[in-house]
Amino acid sequence: MQGYIYPNEFELHWGLLVVLYPYITGLVAGAFILASLERVFNVKEVQPTYRLALLTALAFLLVAPLPLLAHLGHPLRSYEIFLTPNRKSAMAMFGFVYAWYLTVVLLLEIWFEYRKDLVLWARSERGPKKWLHYALTLGATDLSEEALRFDDNAGRWITIIGIPSAFLLHGYVGFIFGSVKANPWWSSVLMPVVFLFSAIVSGIALVLFIYVAASLFRSKPVDMRCADKLAAFLFYAMIVDFSLEMLDFIHRLYESEESIEILSQLIQGPLFISLIVLQVVLGTLVPLIALGVVSPALSDRGVSRTPAELRRLIYLACATLVQIGIFSIRWNVVLGGQLFSKSLRGLTVYKPLLFGTEGLLMASVLLFLPLVILWLLVKVLPPWLDAEATE
Amino acid sequence: MPQQVPRLAVLFAVLVVGFVVARESLVPDTFGDVGHYRAAAVTSIAAREKSYAGHRECADCHDEIAEQRLASHHSGVACEVCHGPGAAHSEYPDEVELPAPRERGFCPLCHRYDPSRPTGFPQIEPVAHNPLEPCMSCHDPHAPEPPEVPEECGACHGQISRLKTVSHHVTLDCTTCHATEEQHKITPRLVRPGKPVDRGFCGTCHDEDADSQADIPRIDLATHGEDYQCWQCHYPHYPETG
Repeated sequence: MQGYIYPNEFELHWGLLVVLYPYITGLVAGAFILASLERVFNVKEVQPTYRLALLTALAFLLVAPLPLLAHLGHPLRSYEIFLTPNRKSAMAMFGFVYAWYLTVVLLLEIWFEYRKDLVLWARSERGPKKWLHYALTLGATDLSEEALRFDDNAGRWITIIGIPSAFLLHGYVGFIFGSVKANPWWSSVLMPVVFLFSAIVSGIALVLFIYVAASLFRSKPVDMRCADKLAAFLFYAMIVDFSLEMLDFIHRLYESEESIEILSQLIQGPLFISLIVLQVVLGTLVPLIALGVVSPALSDRGVSRTPAELRRLIYLACATLVQIGIFSIRWNVVLGGQLFSKSLRGLTVYKPLLFGTEGLLMASVLLFLPLVILWLLVKVLPPWLDAEATE
Repeated sequence: MPQQVPRLAVLFAVLVVGFVVARESLVPDTFGDVGHYRAAAVTSIAAREKSYAGHRECADCHDEIAEQRLASHHSGVACEVCHGPGAAHSEYPDEVELPAPRERGFCPLCHRYDPSRPTGFPQIEPVAHNPLEPCMSCHDPHAPEPPEVPEECGACHGQISRLKTVSHHVTLDCTTCHATEEQHKITPRLVRPGKPVDRGFCGTCHDEDADSQADIPRIDLATHGEDYQCWQCHYPHYPETG
C-alpha cells in the first residue's frame, strides 16, 4: 500500500474469480464466433474445427457462471435472478442473456449439427451409448433429404442469430465495467468493443491450441490448411484488438483527465509485470511477430517458409502466450480498477489466497473444469471429421 | 412439418411451463409491492422477538458502570456491543448471565492495526503487544485511558527484544543503534526510528582499531566483505559467536 486510500478500499471486493469470469465468457464468445465463420461466411479451411469450436464454447459456457456463484457465496439462491428479475440491473439481466445463449443458440445449434450423426450412431451402436445417442435425438430420427435440409437451414439461421448473441454475451461484460463512471480505469465506451475483440482473439487461440494438441494426442495428422487459416485469423483479430487497445490508451493519454497521474503510477507499479510484460510484450507482440512471420497472414506461404512440424509448435506456443496475454487483460481490468484509491492519491495491493472459495486452488479447479467437460462432450459427441457417421 | 419441430416445441414448452410454475410457486406473494423485495419482510422482521435491551435498560441497574462508561472514550460503544444481546438478562437477571469477553482476540476486533482506521485511534499489533497478557489486566474497558507510553522497546518489539536478551548484544540499548525520537512511542508509524546506514557504524566496536572492550570480535573493515553491509551477513539482534 502506498499513498492515501479510503477505508473501504483497503480490501479488494472483486478478486481472482471475477477475473476468471470475463476470461471464460470471452473464450465462449470467441469460440462461437470462430464456429460461425465456417457456417455463415463459408470458410471451408476451418471446417475441421467447426464442431470442436461449438463443443469448446459449450464446455466453457457451462462453467462461466461458476466463478460468480463461488464469489457471491450463495449458489442456492442463484435461481432467483430468473424468478424475480430486476430489469434495471444489467447484471441481473445477464442471467437471461446467458439462458438465451445456452438454450436457444448453443444447444440448438449443436443439436441440429449433430442430429444426423446421432441417429446413425444410435442405429449402429449397442448398449448405453446407443440409448444415450437415441435420447439426444429427442426421437427425431427422420433422415430424409428434406429433414436434413431443414437441419442445415435451421443451423445457419441459429448461427446468424448467434453472432449478435455472442457479441451481446461478451459485450455485456465489457459494458458492466465500462459503465462504472466513477472509475477512470474502467469507464470507457470502448470497453465492450475491446472486450469483444479480445474475446475473439482468445477463442481462436483456444480452439487452435485444442485442435493441434488433440490431433497430436490422437496421433492424427494436423490439417495444416486449417491450422494456417486459424493462425491467420488469429493474427488479424490480434491486430484489430491491439489497435483498439492502443486507441483506448492514446485517447486516455490525450484526454489527460485528473486520474492520469495515478493511472501512470498504476501501470509503472503494481501492473507493470501483468500489463507491460505479460499482456503487451509476451501476450501480444511476441505472438504477433511470430504469427506474422510463419503464418500465411501476410503472404500466402508465410514471410519465412517453415516446415509444418515447426509451424505447429510455433502455433501452439503462440496460442499459449495469447491465453496468458488475454488472462492478463482480464486481470489488469478487474484488479487494476481496484488497486488505486478514489482519492487518486494512493495504491493498494492484491494478494490472492491459496485456499478458500476465492483462492488460487478454486480458480485452478474452475479453469480445469471446462477441459474435463470438453473431454466428456468429445467422448459423447466426437467432433472429428473421421468420426462422422456415414449412411 | 419436419419431425424436429414438434419435438423441440415440446421440450421448450416443458421449459417454459417449468419456469412459469416455479415463478408462481417460489416467488413470495408480496414481492414487488413496494420495491424489489418481499414487502411482508418488514412486518415479519418487526414481529421477531427482541433480543437487545438497549443501553438505557442496562443503566437502570448498573448505573455506576453506565456513568463511568458515558464519561469515557467508550461512550459511543453500547454495553451490548461487548456483552451481547441483553433482553433476556434484563427480564431474568438472576437466571440469564451475560458474557464478559476477556480473551485477547476480542478487543483487537476494533483495536488491531488497520491502515484504514483514523490516525490517533488506539491501535496495536496483537502478536507483538504484550503477548498472552489479557487486555483487561492493563486497560479498564468501562473507562479506557490512552495507555502509558511504553518505557521499553520490548512492549511493541517483543520478539526482537527477547531475541536480543539471549544474544551477545544483550548489554546494548536499542537506542545505541536506532536513534529514536520520543514521538515514535506515540505515533510509531508516522515517526520511524533510525537505522545504521554504513559499515562504519559496526566498525566503531568491531574494527581492529576500535576503542572498545578487548573480547569483542574484531575484523579489518578494509578487507572483510568490503562490498557488503555488515547486516547482509550478520543479524545484529542475534549475532553469531566467534
